[in-house]
Amino acid sequence: MTQQTRHTHTVPGCAEPDGPTGMMHALLREIADALERFVATGEVTAIDMRGLPLSDADRVGIEQQLGQGEVSALLTVAGQSEIWETAISGVWWVRHLGASGGVAAEEIVITRLPEILATHPDDARDGLVRLRAMLAAPSADTTSPHIATTEDAA
Amino acid sequence: MNEPATLGEALSRRGISRRAFLKYSAYLASVMALPASASQAIAQGLAKARRQSVIWLSFQECTGCTESITRSSSPTLEDLIFDLISLDYHHTLMSVSGDAAEHAREAAMKENKGKYIVVVDGSVPLKDDGIYSTIAGITNLQMLKDTVKDAAAVVAVGSCAAFGGIPHARPNPTGAASITDIVKDKPVINIPGCPPIPEAMTGTLAYILSFGKLPELDHLARPKAFFGETIHDRCYRRPFYDKGLFAESFDDEGARKGYCLYKVGCKGPIAYNACATLKWNHGTSFPIQSGHGCLGCSEPHFWDQGGFYKPLAAHAGVSAPLIGAAAVAGAAAGGAAAWIARRHQQRYLAETEAIDRSVGKDKG
Repeated sequence: MTQQTRHTHTVPGCAEPDGPTGMMHALLREIADALERFVATGEVTAIDMRGLPLSDADRVGIEQQLGQGEVSALLTVAGQSEIWETAISGVWWVRHLGASGGVAAEEIVITRLPEILATHPDDARDGLVRLRAMLAAPSADTTSPHIATTEDAA
Repeated sequence: MNEPATLGEALSRRGISRRAFLKYSAYLASVMALPASASQAIAQGLAKARRQSVIWLSFQECTGCTESITRSSSPTLEDLIFDLISLDYHHTLMSVSGDAAEHAREAAMKENKGKYIVVVDGSVPLKDDGIYSTIAGITNLQMLKDTVKDAAAVVAVGSCAAFGGIPHARPNPTGAASITDIVKDKPVINIPGCPPIPEAMTGTLAYILSFGKLPELDHLARPKAFFGETIHDRCYRRPFYDKGLFAESFDDEGARKGYCLYKVGCKGPIAYNACATLKWNHGTSFPIQSGHGCLGCSEPHFWDQGGFYKPLAAHAGVSAPLIGAAAVAGAAAGGAAAWIARRHQQRYLAETEAIDRSVGKDKG
């Protein structure tokens, strides 16, 4: 995923003011404070971007300031989500999109790894059930695998 | 195959991981202005919750509220709400099923006694024994009473259900009443708007599912998360108001420059709603952004407030010099005009309540 392919909040013809509001530096300082707490205590912080009065220029500015890190992921569940670690290690950008491509939710998360990327223990258990069912099925053929669901197992 | 015990199981059977809950909860926390950190608690609550039985009754209404919720932005993330609830009866959507639909409602009430949520859009006519609106030969009043009897809570969506709405507009020929006028023994949440913002409807239902309790409500029983601030408070044109820069008409220089629409009738200062932040049509725009003042449709009796294009100050009997002062002194004087307008609204509400009492007397 490249910076250019990401979705932005810009709405053509939008009459809202789009110049910098000064919020960018305030937010960057807040991120720095949160990162300091994370380094000292491990406290995870999530900042809801939609709840802040940011202009398009502010958003673009923050994204440029934080930059692109080593990790990015495209999540496909209930629409797509774009997740990447910024150039500031420990600072992640999480952007959830609706089907129309609009931004439905957006957070900056200060953490080791956003929780949504990790496998939930319940999902791992479900995965085991599916795999066991697949192996136990008489027609199991490893050369053409059938992706079983828990419904099959039930 | 057994029915899934929890929503987590239900989604799992469809091959959808818990990530869907995390994503939906991040979205929900955002639209409800909850701390971003609350999203984990929401996700856990949703995964463990059972699918919520919902019975949707439509009375004196225009179907706009149903149009709104069924178009709640994208058919993916936001529409997860339809995986979280079991819409056991929806009068408008199921009307073609006729008698079978009515049986579905009765069955859902029996199976989920004391647990189901009743969503109502539309007002209820009380005059002449409620004969002005019936479904399957049953008056709206009777159907409401019968259905609400064993409900856990009632959600009145749209201004008609919440406050009487347009059917209640003067002279209110059918004696239209709001749900809170009738239902006194169950918790009622009002989600007004004409129509309401879809996220306000789905978000409120998801909050109840996640936390097992009602969200915090204001004095008109509206969820504060969506109705805690005025349109004016969060309007991007607010800086123009504070500087005393107003459009004087819809085609003047001020309108072209995007100045504040207060003087052309915007009801933003007295309208508590989230249009300015959540917006409409996938977050594209809202009336003020399209150049039209707010009608105040989430407030009681918005239709009878004296004219959509008259400034609030004119309704309040504020003289031209005071409006001029707002233009000069900005926020302070403008705030005074808004305060007077709110006082006017309170007086108006008192008058309307007197009319309502008189309708009730006619009925009795």
